[in-house]
Amino acid sequence: MFKSFFKTGWRSIKKHRMYSFINVFGLTIGIASCILIGLYITDEISFDKFNTNAGSIARMTMQYSEGSTTTQTAVTGTKAGPQLKRTFSFIEDFARLINTTRVVKLDDKLFTEKKVLYADSPFFKMFSFHLLSGNPSTVLNAPNKVVLTQSISTKYFGTSDPVGKTLNFGDRGDYEVTGVCENAPGNSQIQFDLVASFSSLPVAKIDAEEWWTANYITYLKLQDNKNTADAEKQIDAYMRNTVSKEPGMTGSNLIYHLEPLLSVHLHSALSGLTPNGNINYIYIMLAIGILILAIACINYTNLATAQSASRLGEIGMRKVMGAQRWQLFAQFIGESIVITFIGLALAIFISIELLPIFNNITGKALTVQAVLAPLPIAAMLLMALLVSFIACAYPAFVLSGTGLSKILRSGFSFSKSGGGLRKSLIVVQFGISLFLVIATIIVQQQLHYMQNKDLGYDKDHLLVLPVDNSILKDYESYKAAINQIPGVQSVASAYETPTYIQWGDGVRKTNASADKGISVNAIPVDQDFVKTMKIHILAGSDFTRADLALLDTSNRWKNYWYSFIINESAVKQLGWSPQEAVGKTIYKNFPGTVKAVVQDFHFSSLHEPIRPLVIFLNNDMLYTMFVRVNGSDMQATIGHISALWKARVPKRPFEYHFLNDDYNKLYIAEQKTASIFSVFAGLAIILACLGLFGLAAFTVVQRTKEIGIRKVMGAGTVNIINLLCKEFLQLVGIAFVVAVPAGWLASEKWLQDFAYRINISWMVFLMAGAGVLLITLLTVGYHAVKAAMANPVKSLRTE
Amino acid sequence: MIDLKHVSKWLTIGGVRTFLLKDVNLHIKEGEFVSIMGPSGSGKSTLLNVIGMLDEFDEGEYNFLHETVNKLKEKHRSALYKRYIGFVFQAYHLIDELTVYENIETPLIYTESKTSERKAIVADILDRFQIVGKKDLFPTQLSGGQQQLVGIARALVGKPKLILADEPTGNLNSKQGEEIMDLFKKLNEEDGVTIIQVTHSEKNAEYGSRIIHLLDGRIEKIETK
Repeated sequence: MFKSFFKTGWRSIKKHRMYSFINVFGLTIGIASCILIGLYITDEISFDKFNTNAGSIARMTMQYSEGSTTTQTAVTGTKAGPQLKRTFSFIEDFARLINTTRVVKLDDKLFTEKKVLYADSPFFKMFSFHLLSGNPSTVLNAPNKVVLTQSISTKYFGTSDPVGKTLNFGDRGDYEVTGVCENAPGNSQIQFDLVASFSSLPVAKIDAEEWWTANYITYLKLQDNKNTADAEKQIDAYMRNTVSKEPGMTGSNLIYHLEPLLSVHLHSALSGLTPNGNINYIYIMLAIGILILAIACINYTNLATAQSASRLGEIGMRKVMGAQRWQLFAQFIGESIVITFIGLALAIFISIELLPIFNNITGKALTVQAVLAPLPIAAMLLMALLVSFIACAYPAFVLSGTGLSKILRSGFSFSKSGGGLRKSLIVVQFGISLFLVIATIIVQQQLHYMQNKDLGYDKDHLLVLPVDNSILKDYESYKAAINQIPGVQSVASAYETPTYIQWGDGVRKTNASADKGISVNAIPVDQDFVKTMKIHILAGSDFTRADLALLDTSNRWKNYWYSFIINESAVKQLGWSPQEAVGKTIYKNFPGTVKAVVQDFHFSSLHEPIRPLVIFLNNDMLYTMFVRVNGSDMQATIGHISALWKARVPKRPFEYHFLNDDYNKLYIAEQKTASIFSVFAGLAIILACLGLFGLAAFTVVQRTKEIGIRKVMGAGTVNIINLLCKEFLQLVGIAFVVAVPAGWLASEKWLQDFAYRINISWMVFLMAGAGVLLITLLTVGYHAVKAAMANPVKSLRTE
Repeated sequence: MIDLKHVSKWLTIGGVRTFLLKDVNLHIKEGEFVSIMGPSGSGKSTLLNVIGMLDEFDEGEYNFLHETVNKLKEKHRSALYKRYIGFVFQAYHLIDELTVYENIETPLIYTESKTSERKAIVADILDRFQIVGKKDLFPTQLSGGQQQLVGIARALVGKPKLILADEPTGNLNSKQGEEIMDLFKKLNEEDGVTIIQVTHSEKNAEYGSRIIHLLDGRIEKIETK
């Protein structure tokens, strides 16, 4: 019996080629979207689950407040981990991690490794990074030990065993390779190429431990049955009652939170070694996948109900021959299954083909193996069955239930009876499409706004180079040499890039300990920073060479005197006007003069408002150099700088990038969202229009006689086109009315995440509406024009 | 076999009853060949549909093989006609997507008989109707007469006791029509199949042993030969 159903199904597909194409194409796209989105979501929610201890590992985050501002960071001081372990028995282990860039020397070769992770000895015991050789409890248990990942091992040593070999980390000394581990899985929040023992770092010494200098990500391994919230409470009490009474910690308000390892990636606002995901984006993706599939299903339902009139004869005959209702039902499902599974097969093929592009958009490294594993395949089969059922349920239900006498009596038209449903479904389809289009436009506008916003400094034509330790010794002459290069306008250095200043600090108006001061961000710079960045000075004057001399470290720093340039926000919080502030003394551990006030500029992503900032002169903490070039002969300029670098720093390869790249990296998540929305909104429109195309074709066929008669009665081409398009355009109009508020609400919600954002203009809705209307008109118009131009005699004769 | 007592069927339009069948009394014995005649709208097809249990009626009683049809539930009723009745239509109503073989096989599929059994029955019928060579063709590839032949083969495949034919020759030319009527006659005489046909043609009506004349939903007269 089922064989017969599939056979009829297959033949009916072949007979109605256009409808079948629309259905198969639509379902293919819908299912492929779902497969890709499914893979993405599966990967996101699988983060860190490979760790067998995942349930009992927590990441520490640190919270402190200064004045009225509270700061929360994913990094802690060196003391947090060890001190808490010494205090609480429920903490079994801790691992402090810090990622750095090291230049690794092996024989004569130099490698710049950007993912060198320093980690405490229990690292390999706590986390499930599988060691291929080496003992998890000893590989990192002493200074200057390093574990290589498989890919680094192959890169350095080929196939030979690296264990016992020595790597040179420049002035950091020699490291002994003690083990090789598998590459960190893509779905791990901890990523690394090499893992070196934390004890190699000078700050690791027990007497160097301290709470405040927060550079380290600390993970705790709790006892298996220990609840994180409970642990957090105990730690909180300890910090409040004991630590805050220690010398040097009086009055501190340091609070630690514990985040369960598994909730870090999707639920934490603080990124650690890798950027976090966002559970909201998971929901958005899920919704988009379902919506696209829904559009494809609606196409199927609509075309099936529209076509069903022509199938009533067949259904009637089958009933007369004794088919029962469930048998007819099964037949329709059978047909739908045939179509859906053709779609599924094509979708699997397409998603595998599109995987590299999808990876590119989403920044994932998904593989074919992820698609063809048993679980995804089972899920896909289930999804296809579900889709087959949902898509054909309505037509199957109605057709199989139609009374026999109704069918036999001529004049009954199922297509009329399904009209209301079909119209509502078209409204749903176009509502979804319009919603996605509106969201896409707004996301794109916000992205464009962020990328082109005047930041308060000039981020274009700026080369970013590292400042090597060896350069710092005669930094001034190096800087002068670069300044000599043709095409270079000015040179400056700072601790980090102005696109994202992370250094947290505090300043006070007086030296009194009662003065709580204000919480600020701070950045050490050289004297040309403000000039090179083209930051606008509101009052006062830039740093001078003379200010450097004030940084007097002799006599136990007794005469140490800072020079500060602060921003408008800082001035405001300190309660001065810019003019008043200039010349005032403020304290950042040491006193210093406010030399100038600069206009606020964005030194963080536009998600955050501009915070108070203190720029201070210090030539010992320069890690990043900025070269402003005029851009006329960039290649030659870069070539000169490269030659200079090679002469000065032979032990390290030359590397550079543009500040613009740094800036764009701040918005990777938004760029991803924008790309994803664009792609899927496009797909939604295409699918909805394909469905409409099919329906329009059907309507025209159905109304051929009417059109013929109207033409004979004198209706012109325009009247006919108008007649046919009106109905569909009305539906799009209704969809528009529904989609606008929904699109507005959702976009507004998304935009609330940005401190600096666009305002939604009514033009967006107008554009989206007009665009979709135009596409609809073209889709329906094709058929309408064809029908209107046809010779009415022909259509009437066929009746 | 068939016993209709005071059967009436009507439509109510705007509060006015229009009778499709009015007080029809009819008794048909097994093995009869009955023709139903009458002008358009006289209720021929309605009567046939009522007999075939495809349509319901509003008043009266209908006994079929000692079952009171109007008291049966839908499921039971469809089981009854599935088992005993074969239908032949003016427009053939073959399923375009299926081959000749598959069209004939369809009723057997719905009775869920075994594949091997089905094959044997269909092969037998194809042979008897001499259409073995056409079994893989689709309906659209056949002439009208051939399509009706397939339609009759399909009606017979379930070995019904009764065949209801609604103007079986209406779409055929006279030669094809004659062949079909001869086939009906043969089925009636040799296999003892009861046949009730609706026809417009006096000539074809003559094949029947009784001719029932309908007018405005009533039996006007019954001719017995």
